[in-house]
Amino acid sequence: MAIDNERPLANLPSAGTVLSSLLKADLTAQWRNRRASILVILIPSIILISWKGLVDKFGGAFALSNCITVGLNAIGLMGYTNAIARDRDKGIFQRLRVTPAPRWTIIVSRLIVQLVMIMITTLVLFYIGYQVDHIKLTASDYIFAFLAAILGGAVYLALGQMIVGLVKNPEMVNVTTRLVFFAFIMIGQFASFGMLGDVWGKVADWSPYGTTKNIIAAALTPGSWTSTNYMTLLANLGYTLVFTTMGVRFFKWSNK
Amino acid sequence: MNSNQNPPVLRVANLNVSYGSFKAVRDVSFEVQQGEIFGLLGPNGAGKTSTLSAIEGLVKPTGGAVFIAGNDNRKQPLQARASMGVQFQSTSFQPELTVSEIIRLYAGIHGISLSAERTAAILADIKLEDSGSKRFGQLSGGQQQRVSLVIATIHQPPLVLMDEPTTGLDPQSRRQLWERIEAMRAKGHSILLTTHSMEEAESVCDRIAIIDHGQIITTDTPQAIIDDNRDRPEVIRASRKGKITLEDVFIGLTGSAIRS
Repeated sequence: MAIDNERPLANLPSAGTVLSSLLKADLTAQWRNRRASILVILIPSIILISWKGLVDKFGGAFALSNCITVGLNAIGLMGYTNAIARDRDKGIFQRLRVTPAPRWTIIVSRLIVQLVMIMITTLVLFYIGYQVDHIKLTASDYIFAFLAAILGGAVYLALGQMIVGLVKNPEMVNVTTRLVFFAFIMIGQFASFGMLGDVWGKVADWSPYGTTKNIIAAALTPGSWTSTNYMTLLANLGYTLVFTTMGVRFFKWSNK
Repeated sequence: MNSNQNPPVLRVANLNVSYGSFKAVRDVSFEVQQGEIFGLLGPNGAGKTSTLSAIEGLVKPTGGAVFIAGNDNRKQPLQARASMGVQFQSTSFQPELTVSEIIRLYAGIHGISLSAERTAAILADIKLEDSGSKRFGQLSGGQQQRVSLVIATIHQPPLVLMDEPTTGLDPQSRRQLWERIEAMRAKGHSILLTTHSMEEAESVCDRIAIIDHGQIITTDTPQAIIDDNRDRPEVIRASRKGKITLEDVFIGLTGSAIRS
């Protein structure tokens, strides 16, 4: 049963060793769920392809920033949050919590996997934007936008953490994330086209959807960066901080 | 069972656990010695799982202390957790991972790097040599318990905690698990298990504690508990076949009313 016949001895592994093992398992799990991952990338990709005709009218930054934001929404709300809710409900976290894995490593490993997803989604959308929509940007624009996407992704991961912190039932988490996802997408997109009037337009602009989209759009065209963009960036960081604080404060490792 | 000259592998001192105003565990104290199989018996809601959860560090006690291999599980939680292996009543692992991957994950968490050959040898040891690529959910209940036990002991912990390990197993699987528990003891592990089965307690445990309403009623060897209580009127009343059994003593001490 045991590995060998040596006398039992406790072995305290380093946090790096633990994180590496968790990360390997979480990346494997993500790979096995690749159909869901492909769907997450597919939604904004289809939107970007279908907006080919709008690029000339509204600009490449508009199209790309909206689509990347949709992708970040899907990753943070659908991918991360529901996986955490499911694993908590199944007792997978309880099993990990009785090991010498520091608790932060369990969540950080999950976040790194989602960060990889954010990077892949952003790169795929850059590629589609370039190939299909002929959105041409400089290398530095891509780098800034890439970093902005990671920053924006953090908002949705933090929002997901808050939802899974406040809502215990996995089915309710699923319903809540879908509702929030569609509310952000619908209001954000319609407001982007000026279809909701000034008031809702402002609300959407300063919502997590709007701040993320505007930061990415500004990063795609760094020459047009204004003081409003700094305020948007601050709002974005503020959302991340508030959502993370609430998500950590109210998070329970078990539903029982 | 070893002598008491060595320090206890587990020391629970005046443990208290409350959920709001409900006191689930009240001043529970006991020790598990090196190489000892210790059983925690009690009816539903008696406080067994709360006691176990507090030892595992999953529940924050309102009072008392737990020392695992000399490590205070509140002040040195990682060392305490590295010194124990836990088998839950129902275990769940990430459903996307195969059995081999799960074993390697938990070995890695304990700082043990397993080669493919070593993993195959471990699987062969639990007669699951052909199941390494299966998902945990595809295994039978007995097979899942074997994998779960391998994971609980993969780092050779001094203490193994088992929450009702034979619940839901057929007689063959149950007997096999008892043999594995005794084999673990032979290798120097100490085992704390909770059980509803009097047969299990008598067959496997060196000592048992009967817990009810959050308090330990008695602690001793199964035979000593029978001998000490055989003349109590409530135990005699509980006796069904003339001969006093551990179950009669258990019913006599904890009452015959059904617990929720």
